Amino acid sequence: MKVARLYLAFVFFVLYMPIFYLIYYSFNSGGTMHHFESFTLDWYKDVFDDTRLLVIVLHTVIVALLSSSLATIIGVLGAIAIYYAKHRWKQTLLTLNNILIVSPDVIIGASFLILFTIAGIQLGFTSVLLSHIAFSIPIVVLMVLPKLQEMSPTLIDAARDLGANEWNVLTKVVLPYVTPGIFAGFFMALTYSLDDFAVTFFVTGNGFSTLSVEIYSRARQGISLSVNALSTLLFLFTLLLVVVYYIITQRTSAKGGQK
Amino acid sequence: MDDRVIIRFNHVTKQYDDDLPVLDDVSFDIERGKFYTLLGPSGCGKTTILRLIAGFIEPTKGDIYFHGQRINHVPSNKRRVNTVFQDYALFPHLNVFENVAFGLRIKKIPKADIERKVKEALRFVNLEGYEQRAIHEMSGGQRQRVAIARAIVNEPDVLLLDEPLSALDLKLRTEMQYELRELQRRLGITFIFVTHDQEEALAMSDEIFVLNKGKIEQRGTPKDIYDEPVNRFVADFIGESNIIVGTMIDDFVVEFANQQFTCVDYGFSKNEQVDIVIRPEDLELTTAELGKLRVRVDSVLFRGVHYELCCYDAYGNEWLVHSTKKAEIGEEIGLHFEPEAIHVMKRSGGE
Repeated sequence: MKVARLYLAFVFFVLYMPIFYLIYYSFNSGGTMHHFESFTLDWYKDVFDDTRLLVIVLHTVIVALLSSSLATIIGVLGAIAIYYAKHRWKQTLLTLNNILIVSPDVIIGASFLILFTIAGIQLGFTSVLLSHIAFSIPIVVLMVLPKLQEMSPTLIDAARDLGANEWNVLTKVVLPYVTPGIFAGFFMALTYSLDDFAVTFFVTGNGFSTLSVEIYSRARQGISLSVNALSTLLFLFTLLLVVVYYIITQRTSAKGGQK
Repeated sequence: MDDRVIIRFNHVTKQYDDDLPVLDDVSFDIERGKFYTLLGPSGCGKTTILRLIAGFIEPTKGDIYFHGQRINHVPSNKRRVNTVFQDYALFPHLNVFENVAFGLRIKKIPKADIERKVKEALRFVNLEGYEQRAIHEMSGGQRQRVAIARAIVNEPDVLLLDEPLSALDLKLRTEMQYELRELQRRLGITFIFVTHDQEEALAMSDEIFVLNKGKIEQRGTPKDIYDEPVNRFVADFIGESNIIVGTMIDDFVVEFANQQFTCVDYGFSKNEQVDIVIRPEDLELTTAELGKLRVRVDSVLFRGVHYELCCYDAYGNEWLVHSTKKAEIGEEIGLHFEPEAIHVMKRSGGE
């Protein structure tokens, strides 16, 4: 037992070490990542003074919110379509959905680049938004479908029996039932969009950038600890999202736990 | 059409793909204000009838009439029928009040009326004060009542109940049987109750339909069905019984176990092979000399109200006896019975 716990601690240490290393030096006044001189918030001040960076942050957030909202709507409808599909189609559709999740981002990014070039869509905000929506949909489907499948089909019969038409069944029974799944899907899509690098890197054009791509290019240009500060902020934000997601799932599972 | 008839099935068949029909050319009438029970083993088609009436499925052949109107293709949300489901199918995201109010809200009934009707329905099922409870906070029996309230609040002409008591424990089930029967009397609407439990059916119904393999084997009052089963299947399914093969010698004379007995049945052809039913509670224990039948006791079970004796006669026929008297295993005893206790049935082919 003790060994197992030590091993676990070690694994987490290795996993989180680089992040904390990075965070630690974001407070270094020395300007390098090997010798800590003294504590400073200058790099954070740099980040907030950099208007170009703030615009990029804004873009990233807009893309994330827009793409995850749209992907949630499309994904929920898709999940419902799969749920109602004939049995032999169901498995095929689900497999096709899952392939999109596991296939490498580089391939998806490259294929989007080719697609947008052929379709004549200018690389920039639209292309990034479209590709983010596209890779978020399967995630939403994956979060919503299990909720649908766990729902007893007699609930739908019961609603019809009580006078509900198709629209009522959807809005008053099916959607409220899968709401926890919808929230989970939305938050997953949001985090995926916020920190996506590979796909975005392919489809972003001149003059439009997201945070991940920007951090990458800055890190390549040379060492500036403002990149550390920015990364730290992004890490904390992601952490916040995870906490929100955790609270939501906790609350809904506590509510439905006693069934 | 007789205006007491509320539902009519006219040669209705339901078949999925090329499988055997689940319901095979069934015709019957359901009258207003009665308590009906569809009774049969699983897969006999009883739930199919319920789903056809509710409108969840459509018949393959034949017609269904409701108040004289053909309703084959009328969707379930347009029918004046409500269902209590086996798993209750309560909406987990709504509280008790909202579950009951669901149908009324869809019909866009004024708020004040909804409030009043829901309260009234909950009072009917003894759930006053539970309005704000979440469904998962309710016990099985309480959920059952919520499901009933949710159905009756819509004032349906017919209430369909799909094995609603099967998930409850024995004590609660007996209690709910009384309550359902009482509820039906107070509401005065037609109840169609589906069950595979014969005791439940006998206790509650005005009329029972015994179903087997998609056909109605017999319909009648509980007493009719218990006392005069038309064939071996019904006799076997309704209560415990001794069913043996016999021969009709003449009117009022039947032979079984190598002896001739007087009975009250007639109208069979001479020397026709028949099935004989004698209920275990109609057999009386006496001494071997006085009995009409001489049997040897094989096993004795104490059942609380009575002993259940399993005996064999000299010809290998098994005789089940319910008696308040005890007998020893291996003892030779006599069985006495009245001529009325013998019930003669036509032999059903095959079995």
